[in-house]
Amino acid sequence: MKIKPGYMIREIAKNHVVVPVGDATVDFNGMITLNDTGAFLWKQLLEDNTVENLTSELINEYDIDEKTAKRDVFEFVEKLKDADLID
Amino acid sequence: MSFYKIADLNIQMECLKKMLQERSKKYFSSEISCADIKIDMDNEKLENLSKRYPQLSLNELEYIYTGCIFADNIFDFNGFCLHSSAVALDHVAVLFSAPCGTGKSTHTSLWQDYFGKDRAVIINDDKPALRFVEDAFYVYGTPWSGKNNLNSNIKVPLKAIVFLEQAENNSVRRLDAKEALKLLINQSLRPLANNEQKMEKLLGLLDLLLERIPIYKLKCNISTDAVKLIYNVVNLKT
Repeated sequence: MKIKPGYMIREIAKNHVVVPVGDATVDFNGMITLNDTGAFLWKQLLEDNTVENLTSELINEYDIDEKTAKRDVFEFVEKLKDADLID
Repeated sequence: MSFYKIADLNIQMECLKKMLQERSKKYFSSEISCADIKIDMDNEKLENLSKRYPQLSLNELEYIYTGCIFADNIFDFNGFCLHSSAVALDHVAVLFSAPCGTGKSTHTSLWQDYFGKDRAVIINDDKPALRFVEDAFYVYGTPWSGKNNLNSNIKVPLKAIVFLEQAENNSVRRLDAKEALKLLINQSLRPLANNEQKMEKLLGLLDLLLERIPIYKLKCNISTDAVKLIYNVVNLKT
């Protein structure tokens, strides 16, 4: 799975912000803000990636236990699916 | 070939229809010979647009289309257009932004009633241009000011941006960066096509803007009290 094309992630005024570029603007007016973990996972998902790999990347990056990492990844991916930002 | 000086940029543009001709008159310049931005329009293009948008007159189509092209090109010159009514009081600019129908123009017209039209000048009633030049943000009038032909060919330093919301009672608060950014992105004229570079420039400008310019939310009714409240908070007294 990976982030659909047509979105940009940037840091603005110390916030991680995702905005649509071009055609995506039609379905998605405005922006979403992500916390540090969300931004980290988003960047991992710019290339095709798996839940297992995201979980281990998250453990490496933030030094958290596997259970927490699994839960964080699951919740984030579900949110992206709900918002139709991923395929 | 005709040239116009708009937002301190050299704009090359032929005006085919009366509406654009009249509204761009005060920006005409005979001293320019090379263009920063070229806005191409001819009768054939206008006819094609008319087939796509038959509900609009040729006058309106030319006016709206050229305004979009201008807004889409100003990103290359450290600028963007914000959907707002911009008022200059004693040569300092405050922008009032909100979704259509909230009462931006109504509010800035109250400024003119209260301070007088000599002191309170409408820079642009709908889509002023903002540029970061000489290490500061400036607001410029442009010919593209929405349904009212209310714009002045002036450059004024930006003091504050205020997002309006209708309310029974007047209140104001300063927005944090996250709240302000959301509203700014919604009301900025964004790049037309899938253009990452231009989007990047817009986001860079918004980042800079949030660092330098205070952004407020004004909940207000249609009254002089609302004007006085925001005037005092923004602190325009120099």
